[in-house]
Amino acid sequence: MNKPWLTQYEKHVPHTLSYPEVPVHRFLLDTVDRHPDHQAMTFNEIHFTYKALNERVNRFAHGLLKMGVEKGDRIAFLLVNSPTYVFAFFAAMKLGAIVVNLNVGIQGEELARCLRDSGAKAVVTLDLFAQGVYGVIKETGVKAVILHSVFGLEKRMPLEQGVPHPLLFQDLLASADSSEEPAVPVSPGDVAVLQYTSGSTGAPKAATLTHKNVVSSVLQSDSWVGISGAGNAAVLCVIPFFHVFGLSACLLISVLKGYRMVLVPRMDLMDILSLMETLKTYKPLSFPAVPSLWAAILSLPPEVAREHLSFIRVATSGGAPLPPWAHARFEEFTGRKIVEVYGLSEASSATHFIPFPRGGPIGSIGVPLPDTEAKIVDRETGKEECGPGQIGELVVKGPQIMQGYWNNESLTSATLRNGWLHTGDLARMDPDGFFYLADRKDDLIISSGFNIYPGEIEEVLMKHPKVKDAAAVGVPDRIKGQAVVAMVALKQGEAGDKQELLRYCKDHMPEYRLPKAILIRGEIPRDPAGKILRRIVRQEALGL
Amino acid sequence: MKELLTELKNKIVEELQLKEVNPDQLADDTPFFDRGLGLDSVDLLMLVALVDRDYGVQIFSRELGEKVFITLSTLAAYIEKMKKTK
Repeated sequence: MNKPWLTQYEKHVPHTLSYPEVPVHRFLLDTVDRHPDHQAMTFNEIHFTYKALNERVNRFAHGLLKMGVEKGDRIAFLLVNSPTYVFAFFAAMKLGAIVVNLNVGIQGEELARCLRDSGAKAVVTLDLFAQGVYGVIKETGVKAVILHSVFGLEKRMPLEQGVPHPLLFQDLLASADSSEEPAVPVSPGDVAVLQYTSGSTGAPKAATLTHKNVVSSVLQSDSWVGISGAGNAAVLCVIPFFHVFGLSACLLISVLKGYRMVLVPRMDLMDILSLMETLKTYKPLSFPAVPSLWAAILSLPPEVAREHLSFIRVATSGGAPLPPWAHARFEEFTGRKIVEVYGLSEASSATHFIPFPRGGPIGSIGVPLPDTEAKIVDRETGKEECGPGQIGELVVKGPQIMQGYWNNESLTSATLRNGWLHTGDLARMDPDGFFYLADRKDDLIISSGFNIYPGEIEEVLMKHPKVKDAAAVGVPDRIKGQAVVAMVALKQGEAGDKQELLRYCKDHMPEYRLPKAILIRGEIPRDPAGKILRRIVRQEALGL
Repeated sequence: MKELLTELKNKIVEELQLKEVNPDQLADDTPFFDRGLGLDSVDLLMLVALVDRDYGVQIFSRELGEKVFITLSTLAAYIEKMKKTK
C-alpha cells in the first residue's frame, strides 16, 4: 500500500511500533513501580500519589469482588473527571470487568437503553446523577449502584421498593479487606471498554474496545508526541474521561508517563471559571481540548492568554476542526502550534495527527499514526480507492480499531469490512499524505466534539404535545464547529412559542445537543417517500 | 448603568451569536443560564473574555463568577463598581 504520509513523520516518530501484550492497567503498575511518589492526580486541592492511587484502586477492586463483580461483567460509569473515575476505571480493568463509558448528560430512555444494551450489572456514579439512574433502574438489569456522595443528595432521595439500595463509594473502599493486587488474569484480547456513542436511528451503539485496542492507541499517540524526561509534569484534564479523547489523551497518557492529572470536573457551569486559575497554578505541559474551549480561551485579551498558555508544550485539539484564527492566535501568544487530532470512538481515540511539533496545513486532520492505514474509497460501494484529491469515504485500519459494536452484528458488518473501519466521514488525501475532511456521508452533526444524530433531537421534539413534525440539521458554528438548528411544524391550532420548545429541549436532552435555534414552519419539507429534505432545512437554517 | 446595560446586551448577542435574541427586547434581569439566555460553559468563558477585553474587568474565580454572572443587571453592576474603584 502506498503510504505517502510516512514522509511527513517527524524524526522521532517510528513508522511502526511494537506493542506489548499487556492489559491497560499495566500502565499504572509500571508507573507505580517507577515513580510511586509522583503526584498522580489533583482534584480540588486534594492530591494522590501513584502509590496512594494504586492502593485505592486495589481496595475498590476488592470491594467490587466482595459484591460479586466478576471478569466480563459490565460496570457503567456515569462520572465526571474525578478521583472516583480513576479509582473505578483501574479497579474494573484489574478485575477484567468492562467499563461502560457513558456521557453524564444522558438521561431517561436513552440511559435505560445503554444500561440494557450493555447488560450493566452495576453503575458507579455521583449523587448528582443518582436520581436519573434510579428513574430508570427498574427497566434495566442493574443490580447495584455505587455512589460517590458529594452533596449527600442520596439521603433525600426516595427509593422505590425492589430497587437496590445505593452503596457509598467511601464505604466500599473502607470495607475492602485487602489492598493487594487482585489475582484476576486479564488478557490483551479481553474487552476493556464499551464506548457508547450516538446511533443514526436514535438508538445508542457501543464500540467494543479490547485492552489491546486501548493500549495500542495510547502508545501510538505517545510515540507521535515523543516527549520524554518531563518528570511529574501536569496534564490539564478538562476533556471528560467518558469521551475517548479524554480517556486517552488525559487519563491514560498521564498514567503511562507518570504525569500529574489536574482534574477539572465541569460538574456545573461555573467550573469553567476555575480553569484559568488552574492553568496558572499547575502550568500544565499538556492541554488537550476541543475547538470550542480553545476558541473561548483564545478570545481572552492577548496578555491574559499569553500569561495562562505560555508553558503549554503539547496543545491538542480534537472533536471538530479548529478555526484558522485560533491556530494563528495560539501561535502568536506562545510561539507553538495547536496540533489537531482526528479520531473516533470506534478507533479507541486517534487515527490521524498533525505532525508534532512542527504543525501541518490548516484545515487538515493530519496524517495516519504509526501502523495505521487509511485510504479514501468511493462513497457508493466503498470498494474503489479514490486518487489523491478525490473525495470519498475515509476508511482506516490499525491495532486501535474496535472489535465491532456490542450486540449489533449487522451494524458491525456494515461498518467493519475486511478489517477496514468505514468512518462515515467524507474526506480527501493530498499528494503529500495529508487528509482533509469534506463532509459526512450521513447526517451526523459534530458539535463541541460530541456526535449528535438529527434523530435524537427530532425524537424529543416530536414528543412535545404541540409538535406535529420536526427536523434537525447542523450548521457551521464559529465556536462549536457545528451547532444544531431545529425546524418544527406545529399541530393545527397550536400557537408557536420557540422559548417553550427550547425549554422543553433543555428538560429532555443533554446540554450539548440543545438546538441553537428553532424555526417554526407550516410543514417540514419531505420528499414523496416521506424523507426529510435536509438540504432545504439546512438552507433555511443557514439563512438565520 | 442603563447605557452600560444596553451596550452589554448588544455585545453579548453579537459575540455569542445569539441569533434568535433581539437585544432590544432583553429584560435587564434576564438570567444568563437555564431558562434565561441558556448559555453554556463555553459561552460563559466567552463572556469572561468579553468583559476582560472591553471593560478591563477580570472574573477568573468561581466564587466571584457565581455572584456576578447571574443576570445582565448583576454583571453590569459589577462592571460599574469595578470602574469606580479604578
